Amino acid sequence: MGESSVFWLRVTLGLYSLGLAHALLTVIRRRQRGFSPALASFCVAAVFHLVSIVEEGLAIGSFPILNIYQSSSLIGLLITILFLIAYWRYKYESLAIFIFPIVFVLTLIASLGHPVQPWQNPVLRSSWLAVHVVLALLGYAALFLTCAASVMYLIQERELKSKKPRAFYYRLPPLGTLDELTYKTMAVGFVLITLGLVAGSLQWSRQWLVDEKVLLAFVTWGVYLAMIFTRWTIGWRGRKAAYFAIVGFCCAALTWMVNGGVHSFVKR
Amino acid sequence: MNLLVVGLSHKTAPIEVREQMALPEDALREALTGLVSRPGIAEALIFSTCNRVEFTVRAEPESDAVAEIYSFLANDCRRPMEKFERYFYRHTQREAIGHLFRVASSLDSMVVGEPQILGQVKDAYAAAKAAGALGGPLEEIVNRAFHVAKRVRNETGIGQMAVSVSYVAVELARKIFGTLSGHTVLIIGSGKMSELAARHLRRSGAPAVFVANRTYEKGVEMAARFEGRAVPFEQMFDLLPLVDIVISSTGAPGFVITRERAQALIGARKNRPMFFIDIAVPRDIDPEINKIDNMFLYDIDDLQQVADANKRQREREAERAEAIVQAEVERMMERLKAHDVAPTIVSLQAELDRIRRSEIERHRGRLGPLTPEQEQAIEALTRGIINKIAHTPISHLKTLASHPDGLHFIGVVKRVFNLKE
Repeated sequence: MGESSVFWLRVTLGLYSLGLAHALLTVIRRRQRGFSPALASFCVAAVFHLVSIVEEGLAIGSFPILNIYQSSSLIGLLITILFLIAYWRYKYESLAIFIFPIVFVLTLIASLGHPVQPWQNPVLRSSWLAVHVVLALLGYAALFLTCAASVMYLIQERELKSKKPRAFYYRLPPLGTLDELTYKTMAVGFVLITLGLVAGSLQWSRQWLVDEKVLLAFVTWGVYLAMIFTRWTIGWRGRKAAYFAIVGFCCAALTWMVNGGVHSFVKR
Repeated sequence: MNLLVVGLSHKTAPIEVREQMALPEDALREALTGLVSRPGIAEALIFSTCNRVEFTVRAEPESDAVAEIYSFLANDCRRPMEKFERYFYRHTQREAIGHLFRVASSLDSMVVGEPQILGQVKDAYAAAKAAGALGGPLEEIVNRAFHVAKRVRNETGIGQMAVSVSYVAVELARKIFGTLSGHTVLIIGSGKMSELAARHLRRSGAPAVFVANRTYEKGVEMAARFEGRAVPFEQMFDLLPLVDIVISSTGAPGFVITRERAQALIGARKNRPMFFIDIAVPRDIDPEINKIDNMFLYDIDDLQQVADANKRQREREAERAEAIVQAEVERMMERLKAHDVAPTIVSLQAELDRIRRSEIERHRGRLGPLTPEQEQAIEALTRGIINKIAHTPISHLKTLASHPDGLHFIGVVKRVFNLKE
């Protein structure tokens, strides 16, 4: 990857992170605010992104889709462009909740083709590692609550649909409360695992791509992103959403359990 | 201590008897003062509601309190007691305390767990207090009854489940939405029960109630009764995506809301849950709607079924409440036992007499031979001294026994004279 191409890609990532921040804040606060600056930074980022890809192509003398970094960069740009066109045409703001994080993570992966070097310092490395682990575990804890609330939701929903109240009907909280709890814990959990993912990526190495834990983490992240997006746009909730939340937590639990809680590239 | 409850309730007497026995509120004070002025009656509490008329008294030992109460009712209150006596129940001592606790905890109510009873007991207490009819152990027991009622309410779910159909609707709405604030209601058609449910929902926090009636004027009239808003019947379907709770009770022969119509609401409502209450016969709302996710439909039979289940649940909770009451009665009995002054007085007298005898024994030899008159004089002298000493503590014990501070005083006396239990 060319020197200037890497530079522009990092600038792009910085601008996309504003979009990510906007999406995360929206999810937590349940109100879409500051969309225009996020959109503006996204437009500017798209230009730099294009510059980065063109320079990369010129430097290697071919179309830059030769490895995963280059292709994820390109996919990221394409999604951005499609989103901007769709937005210009339909003014569909809530789509940003889904698109901004996706594009950010794709660009993050792309930029890891040339990781920043100062992470050789072992103290700094281990403190970032601690941040990564703590964020990820807090995220899992929140998602566990989501799962528990979903199970209770399913039971209470059955009680209400059956119209024959049994012990659970009296003991479990109302559906509305459980639904609220599901959404809140999921929003917090999603923000935490996103930040955990970003913290983890700061110590990138090429072994990542073959580590099942990393891949599962991305799958889990995708599942939760999809859940939050559907909730935000079409208000997807209820029985099926509860099942989905349980599946999502199974992914998260699997991600955590694989390889006994640590990555395959961590020397024991 | 002599505690007694005499009374009749919905369990023993029909309404015709209860209404003739009831004491009007303004006559209560006079009745209370009349009752405590009767010989042998130290404290009294009169409890008169539509479901029970009860007299709780603390009587002096060896007085016939039952006869006093009956004669009080017959002579002072002019009630035909010879006709009504057979409806009365009586509880004494432990049973009387248990009864009072159970009444205050709403375990003896017609609808077990109904919350009004505690307020009524409090009113009766206030009236008795104002009339000066309380001030001893009975007051302590009544105060304890409030505590027991509170415990029962907090530690069991006895008052939590709705048992009337219209309240069940509110309870279900709460179970579905969590809170009712922010959830609007639409009433289709009219009817006593839907109006009642709307009132409950409104009071529980529902911000707006719309009424759609085929006759617009009727809707306006009904809406005015609970600050609702009437809408023309044709606009009802436009309103459906905006309301969360629908109560339907029209006289229509077919379904007013079909499954297709409900299905079409999902997108417009962004999957927000919806609660349909169908109290019409024949039914207004397609029962299939209950199968749609996030939509809940209850017809009149379903509501009744929940009400019945709630009643059974209340009875189960009542068993737990009974256990609490029993434990509290035991504790109360322990406390009251300590209040009982008779054993203290007896042992005080015995202790003083023991001292007197042993002192005579000790000094008798030094006095030499005495005439029987002299012997009697010594006896009278020493007895006179101990009686004079014991007089003040004993009279204080007797008067303070019925006072809430009496317990403390008994302890002091026991300590001062070194009395064993």
